[in-house]
Amino acid sequence: MFNLSELQHDALLEIFNIGVGHAASAMSDIVKEEVTMSVPSISFLNRAEAASMLGQDGARICGISQHFEGAFKTEALLMFPEEKSLEIVRLMVGEAMPMAELTEMEQEAMSEIGNIILNSCIGTLANIFGQQLSGSLPMYHVGSSEEILTASGSPADAIVLMLHIDFILEKHEIHGYVAFILDMSALHDLQDQVDRYLAKAMGG
Amino acid sequence: MPDRDTQRLAMLESVLSAASLGMVVLDHERRVVLWNRWMAQHSGIPAAQVLGRDFLSVFPDLDNKRLEGSILQALRGFPSVLSQTLHKAPFPLFAHPGAPRMQQAVAITPVDVDGVERHCLIQITDVSAAVNRERLLRVQALELRSQTFSDGLTGIANRRHFDVAIEKEIRRAKRGGTPLSLLMIDIDHFKSYNDHYGHQQGDETLIKVAAALAAMLQRPMDLIARYGGEEFSVILPEMDEQHSLAMAQALRERVRALAIPHAYTGTGEPFVTISIGMAALRADQTTEVTALIGAADRALYAAKHEGRNRVVVSQL
Repeated sequence: MFNLSELQHDALLEIFNIGVGHAASAMSDIVKEEVTMSVPSISFLNRAEAASMLGQDGARICGISQHFEGAFKTEALLMFPEEKSLEIVRLMVGEAMPMAELTEMEQEAMSEIGNIILNSCIGTLANIFGQQLSGSLPMYHVGSSEEILTASGSPADAIVLMLHIDFILEKHEIHGYVAFILDMSALHDLQDQVDRYLAKAMGG
Repeated sequence: MPDRDTQRLAMLESVLSAASLGMVVLDHERRVVLWNRWMAQHSGIPAAQVLGRDFLSVFPDLDNKRLEGSILQALRGFPSVLSQTLHKAPFPLFAHPGAPRMQQAVAITPVDVDGVERHCLIQITDVSAAVNRERLLRVQALELRSQTFSDGLTGIANRRHFDVAIEKEIRRAKRGGTPLSLLMIDIDHFKSYNDHYGHQQGDETLIKVAAALAAMLQRPMDLIARYGGEEFSVILPEMDEQHSLAMAQALRERVRALAIPHAYTGTGEPFVTISIGMAALRADQTTEVTALIGAADRALYAAKHEGRNRVVVSQL
Protein backbone atom coordinates (compact mmCIF):
# COMPACT_ATOMS: atom_id res chain seq x y z
CA MET A 1 0.00 0.00 0.00
CA PHE A 2 0.96 3.54 -0.66
CA ASN A 3 2.69 5.32 2.20
CA LEU A 4 3.91 8.75 3.15
CA SER A 5 7.10 9.59 5.00
CA GLU A 6 6.63 10.46 8.63
CA LEU A 7 7.15 14.15 7.85
CA GLN A 8 4.57 14.13 5.04
CA HIS A 9 2.14 12.26 7.26
CA ASP A 10 2.52 14.71 10.16
CA ALA A 11 2.16 17.71 7.86
CA LEU A 12 -1.12 16.39 6.41
CA LEU A 13 -2.45 15.50 9.87
CA GLU A 14 -1.69 19.01 11.06
CA ILE A 15 -3.32 20.64 8.01
CA PHE A 16 -6.48 18.57 8.42
CA ASN A 17 -6.68 19.41 12.11
CA ILE A 18 -6.53 23.11 11.21
CA GLY A 19 -9.26 22.46 8.63
CA VAL A 20 -11.70 20.73 10.98
CA GLY A 21 -10.93 23.41 13.57
CA HIS A 22 -12.32 26.01 11.15
CA ALA A 23 -15.31 23.76 10.49
CA ALA A 24 -15.97 23.41 14.23
CA SER A 25 -15.93 27.15 14.77
CA ALA A 26 -18.32 27.69 11.82
CA MET A 27 -20.68 25.14 13.36
CA SER A 28 -20.37 26.74 16.82
CA ASP A 29 -21.51 30.03 15.24
CA ILE A 30 -24.59 28.31 13.86
CA VAL A 31 -25.71 26.48 17.00
CA LYS A 32 -24.28 28.97 19.54
CA GLU A 33 -22.82 26.08 21.51
CA GLU A 34 -19.29 24.82 21.60
CA VAL A 35 -18.49 22.34 18.86
CA THR A 36 -15.08 20.66 18.92
CA MET A 37 -13.57 18.60 16.12
CA SER A 38 -10.28 16.89 15.69
CA VAL A 39 -8.56 14.40 13.41
CA PRO A 40 -6.71 11.89 15.59
CA SER A 41 -5.29 9.88 12.68
CA ILE A 42 -5.09 9.50 8.92
CA SER A 43 -4.30 6.45 6.81
CA PHE A 44 -4.10 5.35 3.18
CA LEU A 45 -6.26 2.37 2.26
CA ASN A 46 -7.53 0.67 -0.85
CA ARG A 47 -11.23 0.88 -1.47
CA ALA A 48 -12.07 -2.58 -0.08
CA GLU A 49 -10.15 -1.90 3.13
CA ALA A 50 -11.87 1.46 3.48
CA ALA A 51 -15.29 -0.13 3.02
CA SER A 52 -14.67 -2.76 5.67
CA MET A 53 -13.33 -0.18 8.12
CA LEU A 54 -16.54 1.82 7.75
CA GLY A 55 -18.88 -1.03 8.48
CA GLN A 56 -19.56 -4.66 7.77
CA ASP A 57 -22.62 -6.65 6.79
CA GLY A 58 -24.35 -3.86 4.94
CA ALA A 59 -24.53 -1.55 7.96
CA ARG A 60 -26.14 1.64 6.72
CA ILE A 61 -23.83 4.61 6.34
CA CYS A 62 -24.82 8.17 5.69
CA GLY A 63 -22.45 10.07 3.40
CA ILE A 64 -22.11 13.57 2.00
CA SER A 65 -19.92 13.90 -1.07
CA GLN A 66 -18.35 16.77 -2.97
CA HIS A 67 -16.11 16.68 -6.00
CA PHE A 68 -13.03 18.91 -5.96
CA GLU A 69 -10.50 19.67 -8.65
CA GLY A 70 -7.61 21.99 -9.36
CA ALA A 71 -4.18 21.36 -7.84
CA PHE A 72 -5.38 17.76 -7.48
CA LYS A 73 -8.60 15.95 -8.19
CA THR A 74 -10.60 14.12 -5.53
CA GLU A 75 -14.00 12.90 -4.49
CA ALA A 76 -14.42 13.90 -0.84
CA LEU A 77 -16.85 12.12 1.47
CA LEU A 78 -17.96 12.70 5.04
CA MET A 79 -19.39 9.50 6.50
CA PHE A 80 -21.14 8.49 9.69
CA PRO A 81 -23.05 5.35 10.62
CA GLU A 82 -26.70 6.23 9.95
CA GLU A 83 -27.71 6.35 13.63
CA LYS A 84 -24.82 8.73 14.36
CA SER A 85 -25.98 11.06 11.61
CA LEU A 86 -29.38 11.19 13.33
CA GLU A 87 -27.61 12.07 16.57
CA ILE A 88 -25.50 14.82 14.99
CA VAL A 89 -28.34 16.54 13.16
CA ARG A 90 -30.63 16.39 16.17
CA LEU A 91 -27.92 17.69 18.46
CA MET A 92 -27.20 20.54 16.04
CA VAL A 93 -30.86 21.38 15.61
CA GLY A 94 -31.57 20.98 19.32
CA GLU A 95 -34.82 19.23 18.55
CA ALA A 96 -35.55 15.57 18.01
CA MET A 97 -37.79 14.38 15.21
CA PRO A 98 -39.48 11.20 16.44
CA MET A 99 -38.33 9.31 13.34
CA ALA A 100 -35.87 6.50 12.76
CA GLU A 101 -34.51 8.08 9.58
CA LEU A 102 -33.45 11.57 8.66
CA THR A 103 -36.35 13.52 7.19
CA GLU A 104 -35.88 15.41 3.94
CA MET A 105 -35.14 18.66 5.80
CA GLU A 106 -32.74 16.92 8.15
CA GLN A 107 -30.90 15.44 5.16
CA GLU A 108 -30.37 18.99 3.94
CA ALA A 109 -29.00 19.95 7.33
CA MET A 110 -26.66 16.94 7.22
CA SER A 111 -25.56 18.02 3.72
CA GLU A 112 -24.73 21.44 5.09
CA ILE A 113 -22.71 19.93 7.95
CA GLY A 114 -20.80 17.79 5.42
CA ASN A 115 -20.35 20.83 3.19
CA ILE A 116 -18.83 22.84 6.05
CA ILE A 117 -16.40 20.07 7.02
CA LEU A 118 -15.33 19.13 3.47
CA ASN A 119 -14.93 22.75 2.32
CA SER A 120 -12.85 23.47 5.43
CA CYS A 121 -10.55 20.48 4.89
CA ILE A 122 -9.98 21.14 1.19
CA GLY A 123 -9.99 24.93 1.63
CA THR A 124 -7.24 24.67 4.23
CA LEU A 125 -5.20 22.43 1.95
CA ALA A 126 -5.60 24.91 -0.93
CA ASN A 127 -4.68 27.81 1.32
CA ILE A 128 -1.61 26.21 2.79
CA PHE A 129 -0.40 24.89 -0.55
CA GLY A 130 -1.15 28.27 -2.16
CA GLN A 131 -3.04 26.42 -4.89
CA GLN A 132 -6.41 26.79 -6.61
CA LEU A 133 -9.07 24.16 -5.96
CA SER A 134 -12.77 24.36 -6.58
CA GLY A 135 -15.68 22.12 -5.77
CA SER A 136 -19.22 20.98 -6.52
CA LEU A 137 -22.31 21.25 -4.31
CA PRO A 138 -22.69 18.48 -1.70
CA MET A 139 -24.76 15.36 -2.38
CA TYR A 140 -26.40 13.19 0.25
CA HIS A 141 -26.22 9.37 0.14
CA VAL A 142 -27.38 6.51 2.34
CA GLY A 143 -26.31 2.92 1.80
CA SER A 144 -23.67 0.33 2.61
CA SER A 145 -20.09 1.57 2.87
CA GLU A 146 -19.28 -0.12 -0.44
CA GLU A 147 -22.20 1.63 -2.17
CA ILE A 148 -21.23 5.01 -0.78
CA LEU A 149 -17.58 4.69 -1.78
CA THR A 150 -18.51 3.68 -5.34
CA ALA A 151 -21.37 6.20 -5.74
CA SER A 152 -18.88 8.71 -7.06
CA GLY A 153 -17.84 6.38 -9.86
CA SER A 154 -14.29 6.03 -8.60
CA PRO A 155 -12.19 3.21 -10.08
CA ALA A 156 -11.75 0.03 -8.02
CA ASP A 157 -7.99 0.62 -7.73
CA ALA A 158 -8.47 4.09 -6.26
CA ILE A 159 -6.66 4.99 -3.05
CA VAL A 160 -8.62 6.29 -0.10
CA LEU A 161 -7.04 8.83 2.22
CA MET A 162 -9.08 8.19 5.35
CA LEU A 163 -9.38 10.66 8.22
CA HIS A 164 -10.84 9.66 11.56
CA ILE A 165 -12.93 12.51 12.88
CA ASP A 166 -13.99 13.16 16.47
CA PHE A 167 -16.94 15.48 16.77
CA ILE A 168 -17.96 16.76 20.21
CA LEU A 169 -21.12 18.73 20.97
CA GLU A 170 -22.78 19.02 24.38
CA LYS A 171 -20.64 16.24 25.87
CA HIS A 172 -21.71 13.88 23.09
CA GLU A 173 -18.73 12.48 21.27
CA ILE A 174 -19.34 11.11 17.81
CA HIS A 175 -16.80 9.36 15.60
CA GLY A 176 -16.95 9.58 11.85
CA TYR A 177 -14.76 9.54 8.78
CA VAL A 178 -13.72 11.79 5.96
CA ALA A 179 -12.45 9.99 2.86
CA PHE A 180 -10.64 11.53 -0.07
CA ILE A 181 -10.74 9.19 -3.03
CA LEU A 182 -7.67 9.71 -5.18
CA ASP A 183 -6.32 8.04 -8.29
CA MET A 184 -2.57 7.52 -8.68
CA SER A 185 -1.93 10.80 -10.44
CA ALA A 186 -3.98 12.75 -7.89
CA LEU A 187 -2.06 11.01 -5.13
CA HIS A 188 1.26 12.08 -6.63
CA ASP A 189 -0.02 15.64 -7.08
CA LEU A 190 -0.99 15.68 -3.40
CA GLN A 191 2.37 14.27 -2.36
CA ASP A 192 4.18 16.89 -4.49
CA GLN A 193 2.20 19.64 -2.81
CA VAL A 194 3.07 18.30 0.65
CA ASP A 195 6.75 18.15 -0.30
CA ARG A 196 6.71 21.66 -1.66
CA TYR A 197 5.05 22.89 1.52
CA LEU A 198 7.58 21.05 3.69
CA ALA A 199 10.50 22.40 1.66
CA LYS A 200 9.17 25.92 2.11
CA ALA A 201 8.52 25.37 5.83
CA MET A 202 12.04 23.97 6.35
CA GLY A 203 13.72 26.55 4.11
CA GLY A 204 11.84 29.43 5.72
CA MET B 1 -32.38 41.71 -37.57
CA PRO B 2 -30.75 41.19 -34.16
CA ASP B 3 -27.62 39.03 -34.14
CA ARG B 4 -27.55 35.65 -32.42
CA ASP B 5 -25.69 36.87 -29.34
CA THR B 6 -28.30 39.53 -28.70
CA GLN B 7 -31.05 36.98 -29.15
CA ARG B 8 -29.38 34.58 -26.79
CA LEU B 9 -28.95 37.30 -24.18
CA ALA B 10 -32.61 38.28 -24.47
CA MET B 11 -33.63 34.69 -23.99
CA LEU B 12 -31.40 34.28 -20.92
CA GLU B 13 -32.92 37.45 -19.45
CA SER B 14 -36.40 36.00 -19.95
CA VAL B 15 -35.41 32.69 -18.38
CA LEU B 16 -34.00 34.43 -15.30
CA SER B 17 -37.21 36.43 -15.00
CA ALA B 18 -39.37 33.34 -15.33
CA ALA B 19 -37.43 31.23 -12.80
CA SER B 20 -39.39 30.41 -9.65
CA LEU B 21 -36.43 30.79 -7.36
CA GLY B 22 -34.32 33.69 -6.21
CA MET B 23 -31.10 34.30 -8.12
CA VAL B 24 -28.51 36.89 -7.20
CA VAL B 25 -25.08 37.18 -8.78
CA LEU B 26 -22.29 38.99 -6.92
CA ASP B 27 -18.96 40.15 -8.33
CA HIS B 28 -15.60 39.52 -6.62
CA GLU B 29 -16.23 42.49 -4.32
CA ARG B 30 -19.64 41.19 -3.28
CA ARG B 31 -21.50 43.81 -5.34
CA VAL B 32 -24.86 42.78 -6.79
CA VAL B 33 -24.66 42.42 -10.57
CA LEU B 34 -27.84 40.38 -11.09
CA TRP B 35 -31.11 40.35 -9.14
CA ASN B 36 -33.87 38.38 -10.81
CA ARG B 37 -37.57 39.17 -10.84
CA TRP B 38 -38.36 36.56 -8.15
CA MET B 39 -36.01 38.42 -5.76
CA ALA B 40 -37.64 41.77 -6.55
CA GLN B 41 -41.09 40.29 -6.09
CA HIS B 42 -40.45 38.56 -2.75
CA SER B 43 -38.13 41.09 -1.15
CA GLY B 44 -40.09 44.12 -2.35
CA ILE B 45 -36.80 45.65 -3.52
CA PRO B 46 -36.52 46.31 -7.27
CA ALA B 47 -33.27 45.44 -9.07
CA ALA B 48 -32.53 49.10 -9.81
CA GLN B 49 -32.19 49.75 -6.07
CA VAL B 50 -29.60 47.03 -5.43
CA LEU B 51 -27.44 46.73 -8.55
CA GLY B 52 -23.89 47.81 -7.77
CA ARG B 53 -24.40 47.74 -3.98
CA ASP B 54 -22.59 45.48 -1.48
CA PHE B 55 -24.95 42.53 -1.05
CA LEU B 56 -24.74 42.63 2.76
CA SER B 57 -25.78 46.29 2.81
CA VAL B 58 -29.02 45.35 1.02
CA PHE B 59 -30.04 43.30 4.08
CA PRO B 60 -28.52 45.24 6.99
CA ASP B 61 -30.30 43.12 9.64
CA LEU B 62 -28.78 39.91 8.37
CA ASP B 63 -26.75 38.46 11.21
CA ASN B 64 -25.40 35.28 9.74
CA LYS B 65 -21.66 34.64 9.82
CA ARG B 66 -22.11 31.41 7.91
CA LEU B 67 -23.69 33.27 4.99
CA GLU B 68 -20.91 35.83 4.92
CA GLY B 69 -18.28 33.07 5.07
CA SER B 70 -20.05 31.09 2.36
CA ILE B 71 -20.00 34.04 -0.07
CA LEU B 72 -16.29 34.45 0.59
CA GLN B 73 -15.71 30.71 0.03
CA ALA B 74 -17.73 30.73 -3.20
CA LEU B 75 -15.61 33.60 -4.50
CA ARG B 76 -12.60 31.33 -3.83
CA GLY B 77 -14.16 28.38 -5.65
CA PHE B 78 -16.00 26.48 -2.91
CA PRO B 79 -19.79 26.16 -3.07
CA SER B 80 -21.99 26.02 0.05
CA VAL B 81 -25.50 25.10 1.03
CA LEU B 82 -27.38 26.75 3.91
CA SER B 83 -30.20 24.49 5.07
CA GLN B 84 -33.54 25.72 6.35
CA THR B 85 -33.18 23.42 9.37
CA LEU B 86 -30.06 25.18 10.63
CA HIS B 87 -30.84 28.73 9.44
CA LYS B 88 -34.66 28.97 9.19
CA ALA B 89 -35.38 32.12 7.16
CA PRO B 90 -32.19 34.20 6.82
CA PHE B 91 -33.53 36.74 4.29
CA PRO B 92 -36.60 38.95 4.75
CA LEU B 93 -38.54 37.35 1.87
CA PHE B 94 -42.30 36.87 1.74
CA ALA B 95 -44.58 34.83 -0.53
CA HIS B 96 -46.83 37.90 -0.68
CA PRO B 97 -47.06 41.11 1.37
CA GLY B 98 -48.31 40.34 4.86
CA ALA B 99 -47.42 36.62 4.65
CA PRO B 100 -45.10 35.12 7.29
CA ARG B 101 -41.42 35.09 6.43
CA MET B 102 -40.62 32.48 3.80
CA GLN B 103 -38.61 29.43 4.91
CA GLN B 104 -35.50 29.23 2.74
CA ALA B 105 -32.90 26.84 1.42
CA VAL B 106 -29.87 28.66 0.04
CA ALA B 107 -27.08 27.50 -2.28
CA ILE B 108 -24.07 29.67 -3.06
CA THR B 109 -21.89 28.57 -5.98
CA PRO B 110 -18.84 30.01 -7.71
CA VAL B 111 -19.41 31.37 -11.22
CA ASP B 112 -16.36 31.54 -13.46
CA VAL B 113 -16.58 34.10 -16.24
CA ASP B 114 -13.82 34.44 -18.85
CA GLY B 115 -11.77 37.57 -18.52
CA VAL B 116 -13.08 38.79 -15.15
CA GLU B 117 -12.55 37.75 -11.56
CA ARG B 118 -14.72 34.98 -10.19
CA HIS B 119 -18.36 35.81 -9.37
CA CYS B 120 -20.80 33.84 -7.27
CA LEU B 121 -24.45 32.88 -7.63
CA ILE B 122 -26.85 32.83 -4.66
CA GLN B 123 -29.92 30.67 -5.22
CA ILE B 124 -32.80 30.88 -2.77
CA THR B 125 -35.61 28.32 -2.78
CA ASP B 126 -38.91 28.60 -0.91
CA VAL B 127 -39.18 25.45 1.24
CA SER B 128 -42.14 26.61 3.37
CA ALA B 129 -44.34 23.78 2.09
CA ALA B 130 -41.81 21.10 3.03
CA VAL B 131 -41.32 22.70 6.45
CA ASN B 132 -45.07 22.65 7.09
CA ARG B 133 -45.33 19.05 5.93
CA GLU B 134 -42.61 17.99 8.36
CA ARG B 135 -44.16 19.99 11.18
CA LEU B 136 -47.38 18.06 10.66
CA LEU B 137 -45.53 14.77 10.50
CA ARG B 138 -43.78 15.64 13.73
CA VAL B 139 -46.99 16.53 15.55
CA GLN B 140 -48.58 13.25 14.50
CA ALA B 141 -45.58 11.17 15.45
CA LEU B 142 -45.35 12.92 18.82
CA GLU B 143 -49.02 12.29 19.46
CA LEU B 144 -48.48 8.63 18.77
CA ARG B 145 -45.51 8.59 21.05
CA SER B 146 -47.24 10.54 23.83
CA GLN B 147 -49.30 7.45 24.49
CA THR B 148 -46.16 5.74 25.76
CA PHE B 149 -45.10 8.88 27.60
CA SER B 150 -48.06 9.31 29.90
CA ASP B 151 -48.72 7.96 33.35
CA GLY B 152 -51.34 5.20 33.29
CA LEU B 153 -53.11 6.28 36.49
CA THR B 154 -53.22 10.07 36.34
CA GLY B 155 -52.94 10.66 32.59
CA ILE B 156 -50.26 13.34 33.03
CA ALA B 157 -46.70 12.86 31.72
CA ASN B 158 -44.73 9.98 33.19
CA ARG B 159 -41.22 9.88 34.56
CA ARG B 160 -39.73 8.92 31.20
CA HIS B 161 -41.34 11.94 29.58
CA PHE B 162 -40.03 14.16 32.37
CA ASP B 163 -36.46 12.87 31.96
CA VAL B 164 -36.49 13.70 28.25
CA ALA B 165 -38.20 17.06 28.77
CA ILE B 166 -35.95 18.37 31.55
CA GLU B 167 -32.84 17.56 29.52
CA LYS B 168 -34.29 19.37 26.51
CA GLU B 169 -35.45 22.39 28.51
CA ILE B 170 -32.11 22.89 30.23
CA ARG B 171 -30.42 22.98 26.83
CA ARG B 172 -33.07 25.30 25.44
CA ALA B 173 -32.63 27.67 28.40
CA LYS B 174 -28.89 27.66 27.85
CA ARG B 175 -29.19 28.36 24.13
CA GLY B 176 -31.88 30.97 24.46
CA GLY B 177 -30.47 32.58 27.62
CA THR B 178 -33.86 32.18 29.32
CA PRO B 179 -34.74 31.34 32.94
CA LEU B 180 -36.15 27.95 33.96
CA SER B 181 -37.78 26.67 37.16
CA LEU B 182 -38.32 23.17 38.46
CA LEU B 183 -40.83 22.27 41.19
CA MET B 184 -40.75 18.97 43.06
CA ILE B 185 -44.11 18.35 44.71
CA ASP B 186 -45.02 15.77 47.35
CA ILE B 187 -48.43 15.05 48.88
CA ASP B 188 -48.13 15.50 52.68
CA HIS B 189 -48.76 12.50 54.96
CA PHE B 190 -49.74 10.35 51.99
CA LYS B 191 -48.59 7.11 53.60
CA SER B 192 -50.98 7.55 56.53
CA TYR B 193 -53.70 8.57 54.05
CA ASN B 194 -53.29 5.28 52.19
CA ASP B 195 -53.07 3.34 55.45
CA HIS B 196 -56.35 4.75 56.75
CA TYR B 197 -58.43 5.27 53.61
CA GLY B 198 -57.15 2.38 51.52
CA HIS B 199 -55.23 2.29 48.25
CA GLN B 200 -58.28 2.78 46.03
CA GLN B 201 -59.12 6.08 47.64
CA GLY B 202 -55.42 6.87 47.62
CA ASP B 203 -55.42 6.44 43.84
CA GLU B 204 -58.48 8.64 43.49
CA THR B 205 -56.80 11.38 45.47
CA LEU B 206 -53.68 11.10 43.29
CA ILE B 207 -55.86 11.55 40.19
CA LYS B 208 -57.69 14.57 41.70
CA VAL B 209 -54.48 16.27 42.81
CA ALA B 210 -52.79 15.63 39.43
CA ALA B 211 -55.78 17.03 37.54
CA ALA B 212 -55.98 20.12 39.77
CA LEU B 213 -52.24 20.82 39.34
CA ALA B 214 -52.36 20.24 35.57
CA ALA B 215 -55.31 22.60 35.19
CA MET B 216 -53.31 25.42 36.78
CA LEU B 217 -50.59 25.28 34.12
CA GLN B 218 -51.77 27.46 31.27
CA ARG B 219 -48.80 27.69 28.91
CA PRO B 220 -48.26 24.90 26.36
CA MET B 221 -44.57 24.66 27.29
CA ASP B 222 -45.22 23.94 30.98
CA LEU B 223 -44.99 20.29 31.91
CA ILE B 224 -46.32 18.39 34.90
CA ALA B 225 -45.22 14.80 35.36
CA ARG B 226 -45.75 12.07 37.90
CA TYR B 227 -42.23 11.68 39.22
CA GLY B 228 -42.97 8.60 41.31
CA GLY B 229 -45.47 7.43 43.99
CA GLU B 230 -47.09 10.56 45.41
CA GLU B 231 -44.46 12.85 43.94
CA PHE B 232 -44.97 15.21 41.00
CA SER B 233 -42.59 17.49 39.12
CA VAL B 234 -43.38 20.66 37.21
CA ILE B 235 -41.09 22.25 34.60
CA LEU B 236 -41.65 25.97 34.03
CA PRO B 237 -39.52 27.14 31.06
CA GLU B 238 -38.91 30.86 30.49
CA MET B 239 -40.31 31.77 33.90
CA ASP B 240 -38.25 33.76 36.41
CA GLU B 241 -37.99 33.02 40.13
CA GLN B 242 -40.61 35.55 41.22
CA HIS B 243 -43.32 34.29 38.87
CA SER B 244 -42.42 30.66 39.49
CA LEU B 245 -42.73 31.17 43.23
CA ALA B 246 -46.17 32.76 42.74
CA MET B 247 -47.13 29.77 40.58
CA ALA B 248 -45.88 27.33 43.24
CA GLN B 249 -47.90 29.10 45.93
CA ALA B 250 -50.98 29.02 43.69
CA LEU B 251 -50.53 25.26 43.14
CA ARG B 252 -50.19 24.68 46.89
CA GLU B 253 -53.31 26.73 47.65
CA ARG B 254 -55.28 25.04 44.88
CA VAL B 255 -54.68 21.56 46.30
CA ARG B 256 -55.72 22.56 49.80
CA ALA B 257 -58.81 24.26 48.30
CA LEU B 258 -59.89 20.85 46.96
CA ALA B 259 -60.69 20.22 50.65
CA ILE B 260 -60.05 16.47 50.43
CA PRO B 261 -60.51 15.31 54.03
CA HIS B 262 -57.47 13.81 55.75
CA ALA B 263 -58.18 13.07 59.40
CA TYR B 264 -54.79 11.50 60.06
CA THR B 265 -52.26 14.23 59.37
CA GLY B 266 -51.41 14.35 63.07
CA THR B 267 -50.96 18.12 62.85
CA GLY B 268 -54.51 19.41 63.10
CA GLU B 269 -54.58 20.02 59.32
CA PRO B 270 -57.93 18.54 58.17
CA PHE B 271 -57.23 18.43 54.42
CA VAL B 272 -54.80 16.91 51.94
CA THR B 273 -51.96 19.39 51.31
CA ILE B 274 -48.75 19.43 49.31
CA SER B 275 -45.17 20.56 49.95
CA ILE B 276 -43.16 22.09 47.14
CA GLY B 277 -39.41 22.40 46.64
CA MET B 278 -38.39 24.82 43.97
CA ALA B 279 -35.11 25.41 42.12
CA ALA B 280 -34.85 28.40 39.79
CA LEU B 281 -32.26 28.82 37.07
CA ARG B 282 -31.65 32.47 36.20
CA ALA B 283 -31.30 33.52 32.57
CA ASP B 284 -27.55 34.02 33.03
CA GLN B 285 -26.97 30.65 34.70
CA THR B 286 -26.44 27.19 33.29
CA THR B 287 -26.55 23.91 35.13
CA GLU B 288 -26.76 20.15 34.81
CA VAL B 289 -29.93 18.11 35.12
CA THR B 290 -28.76 16.38 38.30
CA ALA B 291 -27.86 19.68 39.98
CA LEU B 292 -31.24 21.22 39.19
CA ILE B 293 -33.19 18.19 40.43
CA GLY B 294 -30.90 17.96 43.48
CA ALA B 295 -31.61 21.58 44.41
CA ALA B 296 -35.37 21.12 44.06
CA ASP B 297 -35.18 17.91 46.13
CA ARG B 298 -33.29 19.68 48.91
CA ALA B 299 -35.90 22.43 48.93
CA LEU B 300 -38.68 19.83 49.12
CA TYR B 301 -36.94 18.17 52.06
CA ALA B 302 -36.70 21.55 53.80
CA ALA B 303 -40.40 22.24 53.13
CA LYS B 304 -41.29 18.92 54.78
CA HIS B 305 -38.94 19.61 57.66
CA GLU B 306 -40.36 23.09 58.29
CA GLY B 307 -43.89 21.76 58.74
CA ARG B 308 -45.30 20.88 55.26
CA ASN B 309 -47.97 22.69 53.19
CA ARG B 310 -45.41 25.24 52.09
CA VAL B 311 -43.02 26.24 49.31
CA VAL B 312 -39.26 26.43 49.84
CA VAL B 313 -36.85 27.77 47.23
CA SER B 314 -33.31 26.49 47.07
CA GLN B 315 -30.42 28.30 45.42
CA LEU B 316 -28.34 26.58 42.78
